[in-house]
Amino acid sequence: MLIAENLVKVFPGVRALDGASLRIAPGSVHALLGENGAGKSTLIKVLTGVHKPDSGTLSIDGRPVTLDSPHAAVRAGVGVVHQERNLVPEFSVGENIVLRQLPAKGGLLDRAAVRAEARRCLDLLELDLDPDRKVRGLPVSQLQLIEVAKALSMDSGVLLLDEPTTASTPSEVERLFDVIRRLRDSGTAILFVSHKLEEVYALCDTVTVLRDGVSVLESVPLAELDRTDLISAMVGRAHEAVSLPDRPAAEPEPVLQLDGVSTAMGHKDISLSLHRGEVLGLYGLVGAGRSELAKALLGFSKITAGDLRVRAESVRIPTVREALQRHRIGYVPEDRKEEGLFLDQPVARNIAVTVWNRIQRKIGGVPAKRERALAADHVQRLGIRLSSTGQLAGQLSGGNQQKVSLAKWLAADTEILIIDEPTVGIDVRTKAAFHELIWQLAADGHAVLLITSDLVEMVTLADRIIVMRAFGVCGEVVNTHSYEPMSREVMGLIHADA
Amino acid sequence: MKTETPEVEAAPAPVRRSVSRVTTILADQRTGLVLLIVALVIVFGSLRPTFFDEQFVVFPLLRDIATLTVVGLAQLAVLSIGHLNIAVGRMAAFGAMFTGMSYDLWHFPLYAGLVVGVVAGAAIGALTGLIITASGVNSFVVTLAMDFALLGLVSLVYSELTEAAAFTTKPPGMQELRQYSLADLCVGPVCGSSAIPQLAIFAVLAMILVGYLFSRARTGREMLMVGSNPVAAELSGIAVNRRIVGAHALSGALAALAGFMLAVTGGSFTAGIGGELMLPSFLGPVLGGTLLTGGFVSVLGTLLGTSLTQVVRQGLTMLGASVQSLSIWLGAILLAALSVDRVRQVFTERRAMSR
Amino acid sequence: MKTLKTTEVTLLALSLAGFIALAIASKGSLLSGSAIETLFAYVAVPVLIGLAQLVALSVGQMNLSVGALGGFVAVAGAIVMADNGVPAWLAVVGALVLGAAVGAVNGFLVVLTRINGFIVTLATMTILTGLQYQLVGTSTISNYSPGLREVGQAGILHIPVVFIIALVVAGALAVFMRRAIWGRQLLASGGNPLAARLSGISNDRSIVLAHCLSGLLIGVAAVVTLMSAPGVNQSIGGDWLLASFAAPIIGGVALAGGAVSVSGTVLAAFIVRLVDVARAQFSLNPSWVNFVVGAVVLGTVVLTHRRHGAA
Repeated sequence: MLIAENLVKVFPGVRALDGASLRIAPGSVHALLGENGAGKSTLIKVLTGVHKPDSGTLSIDGRPVTLDSPHAAVRAGVGVVHQERNLVPEFSVGENIVLRQLPAKGGLLDRAAVRAEARRCLDLLELDLDPDRKVRGLPVSQLQLIEVAKALSMDSGVLLLDEPTTASTPSEVERLFDVIRRLRDSGTAILFVSHKLEEVYALCDTVTVLRDGVSVLESVPLAELDRTDLISAMVGRAHEAVSLPDRPAAEPEPVLQLDGVSTAMGHKDISLSLHRGEVLGLYGLVGAGRSELAKALLGFSKITAGDLRVRAESVRIPTVREALQRHRIGYVPEDRKEEGLFLDQPVARNIAVTVWNRIQRKIGGVPAKRERALAADHVQRLGIRLSSTGQLAGQLSGGNQQKVSLAKWLAADTEILIIDEPTVGIDVRTKAAFHELIWQLAADGHAVLLITSDLVEMVTLADRIIVMRAFGVCGEVVNTHSYEPMSREVMGLIHADA
Repeated sequence: MKTETPEVEAAPAPVRRSVSRVTTILADQRTGLVLLIVALVIVFGSLRPTFFDEQFVVFPLLRDIATLTVVGLAQLAVLSIGHLNIAVGRMAAFGAMFTGMSYDLWHFPLYAGLVVGVVAGAAIGALTGLIITASGVNSFVVTLAMDFALLGLVSLVYSELTEAAAFTTKPPGMQELRQYSLADLCVGPVCGSSAIPQLAIFAVLAMILVGYLFSRARTGREMLMVGSNPVAAELSGIAVNRRIVGAHALSGALAALAGFMLAVTGGSFTAGIGGELMLPSFLGPVLGGTLLTGGFVSVLGTLLGTSLTQVVRQGLTMLGASVQSLSIWLGAILLAALSVDRVRQVFTERRAMSR
Repeated sequence: MKTLKTTEVTLLALSLAGFIALAIASKGSLLSGSAIETLFAYVAVPVLIGLAQLVALSVGQMNLSVGALGGFVAVAGAIVMADNGVPAWLAVVGALVLGAAVGAVNGFLVVLTRINGFIVTLATMTILTGLQYQLVGTSTISNYSPGLREVGQAGILHIPVVFIIALVVAGALAVFMRRAIWGRQLLASGGNPLAARLSGISNDRSIVLAHCLSGLLIGVAAVVTLMSAPGVNQSIGGDWLLASFAAPIIGGVALAGGAVSVSGTVLAAFIVRLVDVARAQFSLNPSWVNFVVGAVVLGTVVLTHRRHGAA
C-alpha cells in the first residue's frame, strides 16, 4: 500500500501541489485524473524522487519513506514509466531494459543474462522484438512499450504509468492492459495516469482526481462514478468563468483562413477561420497537435494539402520572419524559457528584438533612446513589474516573463496573434490580469488564436472554440461563456468514442 | 552548460538601482583586470626599470597587444553566437596570403592589398558559416577541418608561387607602418607618443567597429540573440542562418586583418603566419568576460584580457623566464580566472536563492 | 547500427582500394617487406591518439591536450631512462600512469568547475606544452634504453611490433566499450545523460573516467613514440591535435557522444596514412596531406548530413 498524504510542492509563482493525497492498494489499478496543470506530473515526480515535497508524508506498506533521488525511489520499489522517452538510442533494446542494473560477469556485461531478462519482460508484454536490436530507428509506440518493459524488469511493488498510451495503436494498448491486469492480479499496486476516460473505465478500480494541486476526489471506487461525475470533478463546479466587459463584434471578413489544410507533421483536413476582433480558442488534450499547427502556420512544417489564406490571399509562409514582416503574424510560445525569451538579455532587448529592423538607422544602428522608450511603453501597457528595462529577463517572475514574451509581438505591431498556453505556471492573480489583457487585445482589433488546455480560461476568453483531437478538428463550439454547459460540450467532443 | 536562472522578484526600484550601480562596477571583471594590469606593471617596472623603455619594450609590447586584440576580436565574433573558430590562425594566414599575393604578383598599393586580404578572409569565414548552417554540424568540427584544409592549402600556394616560401615584395609604406609611432603623426605642433605604434590604430578601429556592431547595430545584436537562445531567435523572426554566416565572415575578416598586422610586423608574408594564434584568440575574450556559450561579448574586456596576458609574458621574460615556460603561467591564469569566475557565479546564485 | 556498419565497410573498401592502387602505382615496391613495415609503423601513433580522442568524444567531451600530454609524457619517460637510469619497464609503467593521472585531472577540473571541457583542456594543453619544454629545452634525447628501441624497430613477419601494440589496444578498447559495465555506463552517459541519471549512473563519474582513459591511451601513444622515434624533443606531439580528431570523425563517431566506432577510427587513421604514402610516392608537397584530410572531413560532414536529411 502506497499512501501519500497532504503533499505540498511550491515552485516560484505557483503552488503545484497544495495538499494532494492518494492511496494505492496492492492488487489494484488506481487512476489519477486532472486537467493539464492540475499537478499530476508534479505528483508523479514527487513519488519517483525527482522532486522533494515541501511538506506532507509518504509511506509504503506502513513504513514512512523519504524519496530524495530517483535511485531512492527505485530502492523503495517504485517503478515508473515516464512520459518523456528515457532510452539510450545507440544501445540495444535489451540493454535499455536492464540499464538500472546491468548484469555483470567479472566486470563484463553478461549478454546472455541481458537477453534473458529482456526476453522475460518483452514476453510479459507479448512484444515480439529482438532484444539485440538497436533502439534507434524504432517507432515511437514501441519505444513506449520498451519503457514499460524497463519498469517491469525491476519487480516493483508499486508501478506508476504516466500516460503510457499516447502513441500506441489500439492493439498495443490492449496488450499493455493485459499486462497491467496480470501485474495487478499478482499483487502490484499500479497508478495509471491518462486523459482518456474510456481507458480509465476499462482498466481502473479506484480513482483520485486532482484540481489545482488538491485531491478533490481521493481514492474513490470507480464503480460509484460515471463519466459526468469525473468530468465535473476535474473541471470543478465552483469555478467561475469571470465575465469580462462586452467587446465590439468581430469583423465579418476572416483575416486568417485554413481550408482543408494538411501538414507534413500529420495534421489532416483542418479548416478554421479567424477574424479581427475575436478570440478563437483551440482546445484539445496534450498531443492533439495544437502547438504543432501553430508552428506549421509559421513555416516550421510544410503544408501538404489545402489552402492557407491571409487577408483573403492564398499564401505560403516559409519562415517566421516572413510571417512577422509580411503577414503580421506573431506567436507567443508555450515554453517561454526555451522558446520565448532570451533569459540572459535585458528586458528592453527582449521586447524590441522584433522591431530592430524597423527602427534602425541608415548604417544599421538601433537608436537606444527609441528602443528604451518603446520597451517602457509596453512595460507600462502590460503592467510588467521590474526595476528597469535593463534588468535581465531571467530575473523576472513567471508572469512578468510571460508578459515580456507577449510584449515583443505587440511591439512588432502584429495583427494576428497566436498565443500558446499563456498562463501555465502562473499564479491566479496574474492569470486574471492576463485574461483581461487578451480580452483587450481582441477589443483593440487583434485577431487572437488562443491555445490553452485550461478549460476555465478557454470558456472565459474564447468567442468560438475549435476542438482538436489526433491532429484533426473534431468539432466547433460557439462559446456562451457559461462554464458548465460549455465544459460538458467540449469534454463530450473530446471523449466521444472514436 | 546553461545553469537555470533563479527567479527573483524585483526589489523596489530606487534602492536597487543605486546599490547595483556600485556593485556592478566593483564586481565587473574588467575593473579587476585593470587593477591587476596596473599592479603587474608596477611590480615588473620596479623589479626591472627597463620595463618602461619605450623603444625596446613598450613599443613592441603594444604592437603585440594590438595584433592579438584583433585576433581576440576574431574569436569574439563567433563566440557571440556560441560558436568557436579553431581555424582563426589559419584564416589569418589565408588572408595574409592574398595580401602578399596582391603585392607580389599584381603590385597593389598597401591598402588595396589589405582590402584584398580582408575580403578573402571574410569569404573563407562565410564559407565556413555556410558549411555549418548547411550541415548542422557543430562549429568546432567544421572549423577544425577548415584549419586542416587551409593549413595544407596555404603552404601549397606559397611553395607553388614563391621561391623561398614567402612573398617579400613590400609596397611603399609597409616598412614605415612597421616602425612608425604616433610621434610621426602630428596635428600642427602636437605629436603623439613615440611609445604607441601606428599599427595600434588598426586595433582601435577594429574595436570601435566591433564594439559598435554588438552594442548598437541591429545585426550584431541579433547575433547576440542567436547566441543567447537560437530557438527563441528563430521564433522572433531573426534570420538565424544569415547571422551565423555573418558572424563567421566577420571572424574571417578580422583574422585576415590580424594576419596583415603580423606580416607587417614580421616584414614578409609566409605560410607560418598565425600558427600560434589559437590560444591567444581565446585568452583575450574569455579573460575579458565574453561567454563561451554566446549571448554576451566584451570588446574592452578582450583588450584588457589580451593586455594582461602580454604584460605577464613580457614581465616574466624580463625576469628571466624562458619563452616556452611562460605558457605554463598562461594556462594556469586561464584556469584560475575561470575557476574564480565560477565560484563568484555560484556565490551570486546562492545569494539570489536565499532572498 | 546500419549507418555505422556502412561507414566501416566503406572505409574498409576505401583503404583496400587505396592500398592496391598505390601498390600498382609504385610498381609493386609498396609490397616489399621494408615498405610494408614503414607503412604500418607510422599508423600506430595516429591510431592511438585517434582512440584517445574517441573516448573523450564518446561522453560528449573533447580533449585538446592530446598532443601536449603525449609530448610531455614521452619526454619525461626518455629523461628518467637516460638521466636517472630508470629501467625501461618501469618507465613504461610510469608513462602510462602519468598519462592516466593527467587525464583524470582534466576530468576532475571539468566536473568540479563545470567549465566547458574545451577550455579546460586548452588550458592544460598550454601548461603541458610549457612543462615539456622545461624538461627538454632545445635538446633531443636519443640515448635512452636501447632495448626498448630495439623492440620498437622489431617486427613479426614484417608487421611492426608498435603496430601490433596499437591493434591490441584498439581491440581492448573495443571490448571495453562494447562489453565492460564501465564502458557501457560511459556510453549511456554520452547517449542520453538524463536516462543515465535516472538509471543511477553518475554522469560526472563517466566524464572523469573518459578523460582518464583518454590520458591512458595518450600514455600508450607516448610509449610507442619512445619505442619507434629516433629521439624525442620539444616538437613531439605538436602535430597530434588535428590528427586525433580527423580519425574518429572520418571513422563515424557521433560527435554529440554516445556512439563510437573503434574499427572505423583505426581504418580512418590507416587511410590518412595512405594519403601520406601516396604523397611520398608522387613526391608531392607534404601540405597535400593536410589539405586532403581537411577537405575529406568537410566532405564527410556535409555528406553525412545529406544522407540523414534524405532518410
